[in-house]
Amino acid sequence: MPTTTHYIKNEKAWQKKYNASGPKAGDLAPDFELADVNGNNLVRLSDFQGRKPVALVFGSFT
Amino acid sequence: MSLRDLYQQYHEQVEFLKIYIREAHPKDGWWLGGGIMGKMLKRGIPKTATEVYDPKTIEDRRSVASQCEESLQYGMHTYVDEINDPVSKAYAAKPTRLYLIGLDGRVAYAGGLGPYGFSPAALKNAINAYLTSMQIESHPEPLSGD
Repeated sequence: MPTTTHYIKNEKAWQKKYNASGPKAGDLAPDFELADVNGNNLVRLSDFQGRKPVALVFGSFT
Repeated sequence: MSLRDLYQQYHEQVEFLKIYIREAHPKDGWWLGGGIMGKMLKRGIPKTATEVYDPKTIEDRRSVASQCEESLQYGMHTYVDEINDPVSKAYAAKPTRLYLIGLDGRVAYAGGLGPYGFSPAALKNAINAYLTSMQIESHPEPLSGD
């Protein structure tokens, strides 16, 4: 069974891998298209360009 | 300053997108729901789930995202990242992170990585600064004449 140390190591590796390429202030925000919790109502980030600023709130339940 | 307060204060001027990503502390992963830590979590952040398994299909992920949306009640709509986490990876978002994207499609604010760098108060400051700059751009102060 994996230990807490194993999970922490994996998380740090994930963050190291993706942090470097994550957008910084001034960078063009990567576009995306996602559906809601029912798999409907697709939203595309670029649809708001020129219309409204967008706050992105990333997270999970735990 | 909570995310709910932030949403209520600014949702007419700013579009808020909650993006549900891979579980940070699922029961079948780096679980924090047991022992003293679990008790502290339940007491300190009672709405945080501790009995959730990491969804393995997009249908499962949507189901957990739906429970999350219902429980946390931020007010903002939740959208669900694909099961291979493309958006989470593009934004280096796991476990939590906040961004503000400007009208030009560029990042106006990139928050720190959660939980320690996750700051709704900092996002609020960024929103205020951005909205102020928008007002200045649309209504520039007249040049003082002689």
